[in-house]
Amino acid sequence: MRTVKRYLRLYRVFLAQFFKSLVQSKADFFLGLVGFFLTQATGIAFLYLVFRQIPMLQGWTLDQLIFIYGFAQIPRGIDHLFTDNIWIVAYRLVVSGQFDRYMLRPMNIFLQVIFERLQPDALGELIVGIILVVASLTKGIVLVDAVRIVLFFVSILAGALIYTAVKLFFASLSFWIKRSGPVLQTAYELANFAKYPTEIYARFVRFIITYVIPFAFVAYLPASYFVKKEVNPVSTIGVECLIAVVFFAIAYLVFHRGTKRYESAGN
Amino acid sequence: MRKKIKIYLPFLENEFKSNLAYKGSFYLFMLCYLFSPFINYYLWMAIYGSTDSGSIGGLTRDEMVIYVFMIYVTTEMVFVGISEYIREHVVEGSVVMNLIKPMDYRMSLISQAAGTMVYRFFAPTVFVWIGVEIYKACVLGMGITPLSNILCYMLSLLMSFLIYVLFDFCFGMIAFITTYMYGMQLIKDALISFLSGQLIPISFFPEAVGRLFEFLPFSSMVYTPVMIYLGKYSGAELAFVLGRQAVWVVLLYVTGSLLWRRITRRLVVLGG
Amino acid sequence: MIKVEHVSKEFVSAKKYQGLSGALKGLFSREKVHKMAVDDISFHIKKGEIVGYIGSNGAGKSTTIKMMTGILTPTKGKCLVNGIDPNKQRKKNAQNIGVVFGQRTQLWWDLPLSESFTILKEIYDISDEAYRERIAFLNRVLSLDDFFTTPVRNLSLGQRMRADLGAALLHNPPVLYLDEPTIGLDLVVKDNIREAIKEINEKYDTTVILTTHDIGDIEELCSRILIIDKGQLIYDGSLAELKETYGTRRRVTMEVKDTKEAAAMPLGQWLGKPEDAYDIEADEENSSIAVSFDKNQLQVSEVIGCVMQHMEVRDIQIKETELAEIVKEIYNHGMAKEA
Repeated sequence: MRTVKRYLRLYRVFLAQFFKSLVQSKADFFLGLVGFFLTQATGIAFLYLVFRQIPMLQGWTLDQLIFIYGFAQIPRGIDHLFTDNIWIVAYRLVVSGQFDRYMLRPMNIFLQVIFERLQPDALGELIVGIILVVASLTKGIVLVDAVRIVLFFVSILAGALIYTAVKLFFASLSFWIKRSGPVLQTAYELANFAKYPTEIYARFVRFIITYVIPFAFVAYLPASYFVKKEVNPVSTIGVECLIAVVFFAIAYLVFHRGTKRYESAGN
Repeated sequence: MRKKIKIYLPFLENEFKSNLAYKGSFYLFMLCYLFSPFINYYLWMAIYGSTDSGSIGGLTRDEMVIYVFMIYVTTEMVFVGISEYIREHVVEGSVVMNLIKPMDYRMSLISQAAGTMVYRFFAPTVFVWIGVEIYKACVLGMGITPLSNILCYMLSLLMSFLIYVLFDFCFGMIAFITTYMYGMQLIKDALISFLSGQLIPISFFPEAVGRLFEFLPFSSMVYTPVMIYLGKYSGAELAFVLGRQAVWVVLLYVTGSLLWRRITRRLVVLGG
Repeated sequence: MIKVEHVSKEFVSAKKYQGLSGALKGLFSREKVHKMAVDDISFHIKKGEIVGYIGSNGAGKSTTIKMMTGILTPTKGKCLVNGIDPNKQRKKNAQNIGVVFGQRTQLWWDLPLSESFTILKEIYDISDEAYRERIAFLNRVLSLDDFFTTPVRNLSLGQRMRADLGAALLHNPPVLYLDEPTIGLDLVVKDNIREAIKEINEKYDTTVILTTHDIGDIEELCSRILIIDKGQLIYDGSLAELKETYGTRRRVTMEVKDTKEAAAMPLGQWLGKPEDAYDIEADEENSSIAVSFDKNQLQVSEVIGCVMQHMEVRDIQIKETELAEIVKEIYNHGMAKEA
């Protein structure tokens, strides 16, 4: 309990730093936000352009797909906001030996990594996600009841944890292969494609995004529970939570193992 | 000319080698990177499966398969960024060193980018390309792409590469204003992927919009070579799109030179 | 305080090949290169000692330090710092040690030093009272006030080193590791840093292990030195002892009238010693000659007396071998020749 308190206090100190830097670099923040807005906007524009040519995509309407798309942004944005420093571990900190500093402090290494940086650009994803979800609510295509409201938030948190687990796992590979940035990048980009209904893919592809790198459980599957009555919450959001916990545990174990065989630099 | 090549060749070679150096990640990278064209492929197949008409946006289902994978081949080799290097050089201050060296800064960056392009050609683009041809001939029964198309495509691809790096050089000049380029980088990537045909063929846009986009440099980066490969242009039209690419190469080259001259003059003044 | 027992560290990396075709070859090769960075090293360090850890580049100094700090896990053997195995109880060990890497800062690049300290205060769980006391002390010995609110990236190298040292000492660790703490600093700053280290050691009985290429650091600070070469410990003893054992060369410079004649003098004959027991160099410009010899074979007074009997000597200078030369000698030839 004492440690939890201490870590919370520490996080407050880091957060205070973050807000100070945010005020200092308003222009950068704004540009990052615009960048993310545009990226998402092109994704939506893509759907519009496609639906000019077709009425439905394998039983899904444009509105439903936009909801899935928006819903997918929220856990992604949350993870992006809080754990962005993991990217730097993958690309630079391990290979350059700068990871040394985490090893030297009497604090949990993983928490040091994620405390150190918050990524304000992520607000771009979060805002787009929230706008699209709210817009979908006003269109009346989203099912709303007490259970679904609770599960909505549960699903978002579990989704964010899955993102973090995937990032942590691939970033940890850098303890073995020195620079795992490109691998992480590729794995992370898979998430872009799990925004669409998984039925469109061949079986082995579906297998990969469902079980290997389980992004299907971050976006499409839980989102379907909120738009289709017949979807079972246990097999979507229940499994999502299970995956989140299991994958995070595995990723954390690999990370922990990695720190044990960390080689620093200069040899 | 030969002497010039001698100066810049090491840049190309070094970049090629350092790309190879991270062996562990290399195989994984190769495997993972192929996911994206495949998933795109399935998405389009679902889209074509949701309509009765055989052709959408001027492309048949089979052509779309080729389009998706050739987009991958093309963007892999064309989208080689140099603005990130410029940013690094500005941050480190080594950009000033490049002013005293007896060579053109932009040329050294382009040589470096060419090294990456060569590397990407071998790993793994060329295999995907061969795969596309085999699939095209054996599964789709469309026959192998005629040599003339391939040659025109290669010429167009080379110009696309130049357009992209020359554009990215101009873009990299932002580093002299602010070294935080992440946001700008995102904006650039989003616009390019949308306007170049990478995300969706230009022919899917409403006609007036598409016409407009074709006259921006972005469509010359990706859309033009891929459509050439598909054999969508011939005769005067082919000459026209290739000419348009050449014009963009020249225009961006001149723009880059002007920007660079202005900025270095300012640097010299500031440096005293 | 510190026990290092038969510690080894082996690095395994993929083999690299020359040239462009080599780069391609490397892609398909699975050949590995094994390198023993540290090879079976043992030593003990007592509380309050300042130990210099020296060796040429790539000898294994940093690797040893990194194992003692818990950054690297030894391939074989084990370290105990204050009774704690740094690899098994990393956090507990971290609370006990302070580390400064001269080449790289441990501070937050974009934050002012004051903010970095606030964060470190929380990380090391330092009470307000202890914190105030430490800051006052560090301020006095390191003059941190001069740049306390400056972002770390804007500090000069000397300031940064002081800041890093301050940060490493904030939690009053009983053990302090310094990896090249004076690298690249000018003489004044070097002096300040050395003074600060001395004062901290005296006041808090802090155990200090420092690696350096600067012999000045060793002479000023260290009572004991360890020399490592190619991963093996080749010397462990006091500085005086090292000088005693390996610094037996003496060099006597004498100003004379005729350097040519003096250079040709049959000193060995006069003294009844073999010709190779000494070495004479002439310096025409300063009209002087320099005789160098091993003090165990010839005595300084003997040499001077003998020369003065045969010619007029205007001035005499006697020099011991400098530590830097000894160390250079050891790196170049190893210990075997001397032993």
